[in-house]
Amino acid sequence: MPSITDVNVSHLHLISNHIPTIGTVVVLALLTIAFFRRDENLKLVGLEALFVVAVLTLPVFISGAAAFTKLAKTPGVSQTAVRLHQDVAIYGFIWLEFAGFIGWLALWGARRHGRASNGLTIATFVLTVMSLIVMGRAANLGGDIRHPEITSGTVAAIAPMDFLQAKISNVMVNSPWAWPASETVHFLGLSLTFGVLLAVNLRILGAMKKVPFSAVHRLLPWGMLGFGANIITGMLFFIGQPKQYIDSAPFYWKVVFLVIAGANYLYLTVFKKAWAGDDSPDWQAPVFDKAMAYVSMSSWLIVLYCGRMLPFIGHAF
Amino acid sequence: MAFLNWLEMLPLSVWVHESPSIWAQPTVMTLHTMGMGVLVGACWILDLRLLGIGPSVPLSAYRWVFRAVAIALGVNVVTGVLLFMARASLWGTAFPFAIKILLVIASAATVLPIRTYVLQSDPGQTGVSSRAKMLAMISIATWAAAITSGRLLAYTVAG
Repeated sequence: MPSITDVNVSHLHLISNHIPTIGTVVVLALLTIAFFRRDENLKLVGLEALFVVAVLTLPVFISGAAAFTKLAKTPGVSQTAVRLHQDVAIYGFIWLEFAGFIGWLALWGARRHGRASNGLTIATFVLTVMSLIVMGRAANLGGDIRHPEITSGTVAAIAPMDFLQAKISNVMVNSPWAWPASETVHFLGLSLTFGVLLAVNLRILGAMKKVPFSAVHRLLPWGMLGFGANIITGMLFFIGQPKQYIDSAPFYWKVVFLVIAGANYLYLTVFKKAWAGDDSPDWQAPVFDKAMAYVSMSSWLIVLYCGRMLPFIGHAF
Repeated sequence: MAFLNWLEMLPLSVWVHESPSIWAQPTVMTLHTMGMGVLVGACWILDLRLLGIGPSVPLSAYRWVFRAVAIALGVNVVTGVLLFMARASLWGTAFPFAIKILLVIASAATVLPIRTYVLQSDPGQTGVSSRAKMLAMISIATWAAAITSGRLLAYTVAG
């Protein structure tokens, strides 16, 4: 009897693989309409949507790698086609995460200054166009895997070690310092994210009442710096040794709670209520904001727990 | 060495090291990592403020940092001692481990004068002395070095 996890992960990839392409089209449409209508709010909606798409692309990539190992045993499936799709998807992922990061910076600035900077918005738009082009190509190559009848021609043979994934994996596994160094950066990044979110969430829960929320808000890019460093190093681990992770239950929980934590980051960045509150010591954050603060702290604790427990519960190493 | 061996043979040490239970080594290590995140994160937040992030916020608003640091330091001393006991003869004779402990002590030592400075700041004070800025820079660097040396223990000593 096939494992339920395997079936779900492949299905998940087939459903969610539309998010990066369709999502970026929607984002570009929103930003374009916002530009012609001179609609500041719609522009922010577009940037927020881009952040959501960027966060959701993480499980898309992970589920794709899991589906790959499932397919690898299937006769009639071209390994080259799958690996080519994966390589282009890695590039697409990098473009999209970078677009999401710059878009987030624009959003964060918009909260501080009242409107999103034009430079950052244009940069976000261009990066999103690049993401769409590369992700579109990845989607096209992905379709070729199970639909050889629509390919324009046979895929030229590629030496196994010429794939980007193989090159990254080779460095991560064989270099004496790549894995330890990435782990170290991963730990530094987690401390940075943790510290910043501690400050922001404790402020919402009632600590530092004399401090205006806008002052605490200034710390968020430092937290995002840690988050970004951990996405990069985390993906290096995953691309380097995917087989260690794709059968590990805590790893999936980690990804699930990373998505929740990412959504929470967006909420902390853009929500209006705490900003609207006066800065008097008596002011209380609304119950919903407090709940979000607890969700944020507990989801990061779960992410950390699942990550640290990978060798013990999931036997990932 | 006899002391280290004795320490390692204590029932508690043997349990941490050898029990297949998820509550033994895995949980102790995870708590150690969580404590690290809170401890270093909270310190860095204050250091960044001293170096000029959010210059309009009075220093007194950062008192919560020291409570977070105290709790996290407590957690990490307890879990750290447990992890040390579990393999006392290994850690007790490893030079890289000594470096890590020295870096942790040095980092914690930077917190004390910073704490005094923040607790004694005038109400509403936002200016930061150049000495405090220097301490903040040292604090950021030593904590980063402590995490680095700690993470690398898995490769330099226990690998």
